[in-house]
Amino acid sequence: MLQQVNAPVVWNRPLTGDYWLIEVEAPTIAGPLAPGQFVNIRIPGLTPYLRRPFSVYRVSPDRRRLQVAYKVIGDGTRLMTSALPEGGVCDVIGPLGRGFKLPAQAKHIAVIGRGIGIAALPTLVDAAADRGIAIHALLSARTTPNLVGLDIFSERGCTVITHTDDEPSVAQVTDHLIGLDKRHPFDAFYVCGSNRLARAVHALAERRGVPAEIAMEQHMACGFGDCHGCVIDVNLDREGKETAFREVCHYGPVFDTWEVVHARA
Amino acid sequence: MPAPNLRVTIAGIEMKNPLTVGSGTYGHHGNFSQFFPVETMGVLVPKTVRNYKWPGNPGPRVLETTAGLHSSVGIPCNTWEHFVAHDVPILKTLKLPIIQSVIGRTEDEYVEIVERCDSLNVFAGIELNLSCPNLKQGGLDFGYDPDSAYKLVRHVRSKTRLPVIAKLAPDYTSLLKVAKSVEAAGADAISMINAPRAMCIDHVTRKPMIGNKIGALSGAAIKPLAVYMVWEVYRAVQIPIFGMGGVTDFRDVIEFMAAGARAVGFGTINYVDPMALPRALGELTRFLEENGIADVNELVGSAHEDRPALVVPERVVA
Ligand SMILES: Cc1cc2nc3c(=O)[nH]c(=O)nc-3n(C[C@H](O)[C@H](O)[C@H](O)COP(=O)(O)OP(=O)(O)OC[C@H]3O[C@@H](n4cnc5c(N)ncnc54)[C@H](O)[C@@H]3O)c2cc1C
Ligand SMILES: Cc1cc2nc3c(=O)[nH]c(=O)nc-3n(C[C@H](O)[C@H](O)[C@H](O)COP(=O)(O)O)c2cc1C
Ligand code: FES
Repeated sequence: MLQQVNAPVVWNRPLTGDYWLIEVEAPTIAGPLAPGQFVNIRIPGLTPYLRRPFSVYRVSPDRRRLQVAYKVIGDGTRLMTSALPEGGVCDVIGPLGRGFKLPAQAKHIAVIGRGIGIAALPTLVDAAADRGIAIHALLSARTTPNLVGLDIFSERGCTVITHTDDEPSVAQVTDHLIGLDKRHPFDAFYVCGSNRLARAVHALAERRGVPAEIAMEQHMACGFGDCHGCVIDVNLDREGKETAFREVCHYGPVFDTWEVVHARA
Repeated sequence: MPAPNLRVTIAGIEMKNPLTVGSGTYGHHGNFSQFFPVETMGVLVPKTVRNYKWPGNPGPRVLETTAGLHSSVGIPCNTWEHFVAHDVPILKTLKLPIIQSVIGRTEDEYVEIVERCDSLNVFAGIELNLSCPNLKQGGLDFGYDPDSAYKLVRHVRSKTRLPVIAKLAPDYTSLLKVAKSVEAAGADAISMINAPRAMCIDHVTRKPMIGNKIGALSGAAIKPLAVYMVWEVYRAVQIPIFGMGGVTDFRDVIEFMAAGARAVGFGTINYVDPMALPRALGELTRFLEENGIADVNELVGSAHEDRPALVVPERVVA
């Protein structure tokens, strides 16, 4: 059940690179939240006007608190660093959208994140690790400090492979992925933050006949399906014969890669 | 003092309070009660329907502007059969009057969708959307042109016994002419304003930023423009007005009523602050009590010269 809560801010502080981490007390959202779902945060006042959508980065073990890792890039996220101080309240709507599906028989999965897309993965990693699923995490970003969440991926026993644009070019993420998949075939793939990676992952998953999912982003006004503002063009069949506009906040943000990787693209 | 009267009547539709929502800004997929009971408001105006399936405009469809929303959704619509099978049964369970908004590309399409809606016996009124800023056909073809608007309203009027509300476009040059012509054609009320046309251009690519290029502007940024237009139309016609455009809280409700609106719609704010309407209802009630206003109808048109100003007791901080 969708909730709007004035959640007490436990803390709000720099994380790594351009990222800040905010933790709020919101048991009615954190409790039922599924991996890959998101929240919509209001910054007090009328400018900025719209809420800002963010993946939930982590949920506390007692499922009373949730964290959002946000990259400071524009007016809204810049204001979030000062307007939502520890001890204050944060107006949050959630849990929103549809999250990741972990197939019942999955034993070995690959999570592939780039940039802010990485912030959507820890809740999935927590759920998979709790089920004893082996996880390879392939993470990339512009710079090393912006590889957010490395501690979590290690703590949950993932095999982590990183790539940053500032490294003298070593193998690309996709090369690693194909190599790994040959040695230990993955049962499912999850990708966030890069359409280029999504296409590569999709091609691999299709060849192997295993599911692949992607978390999408689109500009949003409401985040809860009312405004029809956040549409993307989605394939209605695997061949891409028929497409339709679908709201990312309602039908996603997680889609099967075949829905969003278009043959013509 | 007894509790103030909040009831208003528009076009014979009795509302238990003057608050409503702008069509298209509240509820989706037949789901109208995500944050508060829909019955909190005086009348529900669901999203505009067409009598045919329509995909809407390509993305991106929404963009934030200073205290506002730039959007071009384009009224996507499922089939009429889907509306009847999925939305209408839910609407039937709601315990408040419902005004269904409709649009067509031609006069005949408007008339057909009105007749279909009428035949369902669910609606207390029909709102003719003459003002969607994001369509190539329909809407503004009527909303900008007093003669087409007159013909259309007259034609619709002859085909339904339901109250007909004309939703007008915020066009400075044609507004008063269109308002008078829909009144003369038999419209029972006016709803205004729809969102004015607008554009945002990316300074780097130098191209319009939303998929449809041309979009609308709504939200707090347009409120003074909307209040002014309600003020003008109130002086020009006798039929009641549903006022809207940038409403954020109870103070804006009073402002629109003072300009001449008998009911007030919450629009874009529903996306930002979904509890804005119920909160405003509580605050409006308290304001009336604290200022000794026995009937909310006293607010209507109170900004105009011939109406006395309220002498505000010193203790009141609005
Ligand atoms: C489902 C979802 C999950 C997300 N999860 C995260 C996350 O975990 N961590 C994180 O740092 N960021 C995340 N983002 C992106 C985040 O919403 C934007 O970075 C943020 O809104 C930027 O706000 P701003 O005011 O700083 O930037 P500005 O560029 O000034 O924002 C202007 C407008 O554009 C919108 N906007 C800008 N970038 C994006 C974007 N990438 N996606 C959607 N809308 C955007 C803003 O919401 C705002 O309405 C997510 C986006 C979506 C849709
Ligand atoms: C995303 C969006 C969708 C809308 N859809 C409709 C619609 O379907 N029919 C209609 O008559 N008005 C529609 N409107 C206009 C609103 O009902 C309202 O008239 C306008 O936005 C001004 O009020 P506001 O500033 O409070 O939003 C829409 C507005 C927005 C922002
Ligand atoms: S953001 Fe409003 S429908 Fe998705």
